[in-house]
Amino acid sequence: MLKGIGVSKGYGIGRVVIANETQISYVSKKDCNPEKEHERFISALDAFFKRNQELAKKLSETVGEKEAEIINGHIMMMRDPYMSSEIEKNIADGICAEDAFARVCDTFIAMFSSVDDEMTKQRAVDVKDIKTEILGILTGTEILDLSRIEKGSVLVAKELTPSMTACINKDNVVALVTEIGSKTSHAAILARAMEIPAVLSVVGATDELKNGDVIVVNGITGEIITSPTNEQTAFYLQKRLEYISERKALSRFIGLESKTSDGIKVDLYGNIGTPEDAERVLEYDGEGIGLFRTEFLFMDRTSAPGENEQFEAYKKALLIMKGKQVIIRTLDIGGDKDIPYMGMKKEENPFLGFRAIRYCLKNKDIFTTQLRALIRASNYGNLSIMIPLITGVDELREAKGMIKDIMDEFRANDIPFDENLKIGVMIETPAAVIMADVLAKEADFFSIGTNDLTGYTLAVDRGNADVEYLYSSYSPSVLRSIKHVITEAKKAGIPVGMCGEGAADPMLIPLLISFGLDEFSVSATSILSTRKELSRWSKSEADEAAERVMSLDTERKISQELCKITSE
Amino acid sequence: MVSKKLTLTNAQGFHMRPAMTFTNEMVKYPCSVTIISNGTETDGKSLMNIIAACIKCGMEIEVRCDGEKEEEALAAAVKLIESGFGE
Repeated sequence: MLKGIGVSKGYGIGRVVIANETQISYVSKKDCNPEKEHERFISALDAFFKRNQELAKKLSETVGEKEAEIINGHIMMMRDPYMSSEIEKNIADGICAEDAFARVCDTFIAMFSSVDDEMTKQRAVDVKDIKTEILGILTGTEILDLSRIEKGSVLVAKELTPSMTACINKDNVVALVTEIGSKTSHAAILARAMEIPAVLSVVGATDELKNGDVIVVNGITGEIITSPTNEQTAFYLQKRLEYISERKALSRFIGLESKTSDGIKVDLYGNIGTPEDAERVLEYDGEGIGLFRTEFLFMDRTSAPGENEQFEAYKKALLIMKGKQVIIRTLDIGGDKDIPYMGMKKEENPFLGFRAIRYCLKNKDIFTTQLRALIRASNYGNLSIMIPLITGVDELREAKGMIKDIMDEFRANDIPFDENLKIGVMIETPAAVIMADVLAKEADFFSIGTNDLTGYTLAVDRGNADVEYLYSSYSPSVLRSIKHVITEAKKAGIPVGMCGEGAADPMLIPLLISFGLDEFSVSATSILSTRKELSRWSKSEADEAAERVMSLDTERKISQELCKITSE
Repeated sequence: MVSKKLTLTNAQGFHMRPAMTFTNEMVKYPCSVTIISNGTETDGKSLMNIIAACIKCGMEIEVRCDGEKEEEALAAAVKLIESGFGE
């Protein structure tokens, strides 16, 4: 089995076709006739423009405008007056057209690659791509025509250039596998747009796989089964069919409002762990970010990130979301995660120990740095701050006091920030549930974290096999807690959301509708299925279901009843 | 010669799409167009050089037009940048 990064979801079963890089060779000559070389170059350029204009047109019709833009970009790059004047200068010096052109390309490839910016680096791939294509035309080298490969092919390559990917006939290619590439490379973007399962970054793929091999590509896990048994092939063919029909059904929900069948509108947000994930949320039509975990910034390094580094990360997410609400949770780190530079001790009961807001209020330098970065970033969109693991109003007051001090300082120094910045509380401890009425007077919003709330309410360590059976969000105690929190938020007139796994659970959704939850925040890939579930219920149906469920006294009865209700 | 200082406010900065929109417009004017960022001068009609300059959101830049129709060119440039390239 081979493994890489799954960048485009789905299952592909087919025969391997290896697309080798086109090898172009030419003799560089120095005493050429400039006029002749100029003509050769111009006619190659004409051929390039003609081919790419057709390709862009085809792409915009079959895949989308955004994808056609990659090819339009290539055309624009070759229209750059500076670029052509440099090439012409070389040709005037007697250099052959191939070399005159390749030298200018190489300069730009080196220039773009050396910039410390992912998007600029990606442009180097574009120039390489153009270089191969035009040199191919100049030398008369045949470039592999991907539009002609047979039906049922899994395309395997070292690297897929944008122009190669754009030529792919999506009816014939069942999956893509490459050795180089990431979630943000052109190949990944195009694969997702064409809905072709793709696994990139597979080390040794072109050596390990041979033309004609039948393989299974799992674009979700990034796994590739190299010699599948008949049972495996049958299993994945079935999964593929299920996946395709499910996606078809869900894609109907893109662009629709998130509302119940009788028109009650709710906010449907996504949970993210890095700023780039925000793009995935938009891809699935999320209406905001309900939970941005900031821990990633602090992990896998030797010292805490500075204010600017954090500011850039938060700003990036806000800019991607273009004015939609982005709720950023302050550092939620504790004894169970080992971050050497934070100087945390091993604890007997890490979940009951020194973590989240408790750590932040004792390590004010780290917390202040994060708050400053957040407040500065608030100038670039609709940012809200969420404080985790609150057990009482004093913790909220202390955090708010720190935020106020920073704002006062910024105001005095003309540092811009959003004066309406909202500060909310994550409700995940029984203490916060019980104190919800008090907290609601001082918090701008609530967000219920179902995972920890379930664990703390039932006093269960999820990792302990002996008690794990108790862990269930359908427990009447957990459901009553959720209902209480939502009711208290409503009384105080503040919005209340949920950012745990519960918000996407089809069994809980009718109850949450009935309780009056305002905002559902789920993983990007669950957004559309949640929208679909929401649309199945009317308020009165949800109320009826809730009434039945809330009168039951055990977890077992409730989960059975919910099963029955939701499968009706 | 005319020039104006501005701050780049669109999310992507001078990346592929905004740079394409910008150069497409600027080549329509006979005058020279120069973008000055961080003390570096970049040819405002050259897509490749603009990308290489890696001008990001929030950066202060100066646009300078020199030659025939410089006023019109500068007005068009400022309009594009201030509108965020229609992003």
